Amino acid sequence: MSTCPDVDVAMEDVRRGFGATQALKGVSLAVHTGEVYGLVGPDGAGKTTAIRLMAGLLLPDAGRVKMLGEDPANTRSPVRESLGLVPQRNTLYGDLSVDENLHFFAQLFGLSRKDFTERREQLLDITRLSRFTDRRADALSGGMYKKLALACALLHRPRVLLLDEPTNGVDPVSRRELWELLYGLVHEGMTLLVSTPYMDEAARCHRVGLLYAGELIAEGDPRELARQHGAAASNFEAVFLALVEKRTGGRAA
Amino acid sequence: MAATRVNRRVGRILAMAGKEVLHIRRDIRTLYLALAMPVLMLVLFGFGISFDVDHLELVVVDQDRTDLSRELVRQVTASQEFVVVQDGTSPDEALGALRRGAATGVFLINKGFAEDVKRGGAQVQLLVDGSDGNTATQALAKAQALVEMAGRNLGGPVRVTAPPLEARVRTLFNPDARSAMFLVPGLAAYLLAIVAVLITALTVAREWERGSMEQLFATPVGRLEIVVGKLLPYLGIGLLQVLLVLTVGAWVFDVPVRGSLLALGLGSFLFLVGMLGQGLLISVVTRNQVVATQVATITSVLPSMLLSGFIFPIENLPPPLKLISTLIPARYFVATLRGVLLRGNGLDVLWPQLVALALFAALVLAVATRRFQRRLD
Ligand SMILES: Nc1ncnc2c1ncn2[C@@H]1O[C@H](COP(=O)(O)OP(=O)(O)OP(=O)(O)O)[C@@H](O)[C@H]1O
Ligand SMILES: [Mg+2]
Repeated sequence: MSTCPDVDVAMEDVRRGFGATQALKGVSLAVHTGEVYGLVGPDGAGKTTAIRLMAGLLLPDAGRVKMLGEDPANTRSPVRESLGLVPQRNTLYGDLSVDENLHFFAQLFGLSRKDFTERREQLLDITRLSRFTDRRADALSGGMYKKLALACALLHRPRVLLLDEPTNGVDPVSRRELWELLYGLVHEGMTLLVSTPYMDEAARCHRVGLLYAGELIAEGDPRELARQHGAAASNFEAVFLALVEKRTGGRAA
Repeated sequence: MAATRVNRRVGRILAMAGKEVLHIRRDIRTLYLALAMPVLMLVLFGFGISFDVDHLELVVVDQDRTDLSRELVRQVTASQEFVVVQDGTSPDEALGALRRGAATGVFLINKGFAEDVKRGGAQVQLLVDGSDGNTATQALAKAQALVEMAGRNLGGPVRVTAPPLEARVRTLFNPDARSAMFLVPGLAAYLLAIVAVLITALTVAREWERGSMEQLFATPVGRLEIVVGKLLPYLGIGLLQVLLVLTVGAWVFDVPVRGSLLALGLGSFLFLVGMLGQGLLISVVTRNQVVATQVATITSVLPSMLLSGFIFPIENLPPPLKLISTLIPARYFVATLRGVLLRGNGLDVLWPQLVALALFAALVLAVATRRFQRRLD
């Protein structure tokens, strides 16, 4: 796969193991500029590993990872300035307030005071956290916490945003809000990669990659994939199960 | 362009430092503890002597068995400073009790004591456990005063002699009675070791444990910036502790600062950097607060106390431990402090200690930064 100018994130036959566990067994995928790409798979499929590789937090055992045309693991490359990451785990500082967390990350990204004031206002507004700026992060609800993490990752207007299971532990209403917020960002030209174990969320993406046991078993438009497997677009779960069955069944034969 | 890069670097370091200060402020009791501990420990170690003497356990061997000798014992033990735990034993039994640690001292009145008093000059003996030199000297002084006073009441001068022979039997590490003068430098090193290694290990390990390291690595902050930024506040706290210990030492225990302040400052700085580097290394390797605490305690806090010359003089250590002590930076720091504080030394005398401290700091920082990669594996 060649790196076209409109490919923001690319993996080429990437392998990565942890001891005896093969977390990724040769995964190739490409995320295009301005799209919402869903990395869909059950627990332990390798979603977090893939995202960490894309963010340069892990090195691949084999294969190549490109982020905005650069090696994300190269600490000298400026790619981090254009990258936003919301990890799966709660990684903000729980003893710091909403405002203090925002300010800290703004400083790390080198925002000017004026820029920060403006950006803070905007982000608090779209995440509806304006009334909670003094609240400690660990006192926020699950949904509010995720929104704060998102706000911290958006301060520097990243070109690519990586979200690892952003709706985990978030109630359905906040979940819809979060998705609306994300669409708004993509509308402004951002590229978004979201991992999720939920099939219903896959349908919200422009394109999905189905990850199963470290392998990408299908990739494409979720509606298209559903049609190919004779399932209703809303019943994406059936598509996934059919694919998994075909795969494991095929291997056994 | 280069200037902006430097500015950004400094900005990120200050951001890390500022965040650390917020953590410290959220958990302000830890800071109070860190600052109160030096004073408390200094006072405990410094005055511990007089506390002990209040309940010094005596075995009385009265071979005279006269009214006068009994009266002497009564007067000496009337105050709470000496307590009789055993009476009427033979000298051999009494020394046995001393060796077993059942008593801290043996008060020996020889036969003929009453007659000596009447003749105008009597002697009694006090045998003290010398393993705690401070207590021993204090006890001797107290006994001296009490016996002299009792002697006046009894009508004749009485002196206490303290044959060193038996008293030295249990002297393992501390043959000289040592004062707060000697404790202050050791205490400073010990406290700095605790703060620097332990707190660094803890705070950096916490970033791993809580997952925030993952978030940090996804930002432009560099690993050196993380390290320097996180450590700056603790360097400040460490230096504040040194000042506190020196101030309390000078104020309460009259420990002077005679020598070169430059050597003092340089030594403190180098020692702190080495300790911070060691804490960093521990946290990078363990990535876990509980394990980091244990490793830090074993590799730095304990050696800084036991092998630095703080508690036990280095020259009295058994040879293997003496050898290990050459690898303990606290040893060189204690030597620097003692040189500056007690002997009035300057850089001309203390440079080898400073070189040793610098070597340790450079080595441990190099290893730590090598191990501290911006990776999660
Ligand atoms: N640091 C690690 N050390 C050891 N094994 C790991 C590590 N990270 C991931 N693994 C293993 O690799 C496999 C894939 O893990 P990964 O976290 O990428 O899956 P995931 O799709 O994100 O799962 P989940 O939905 O539970 O978050 C799992 O078997 C996991 O146990
Ligand atoms: Mg995961």
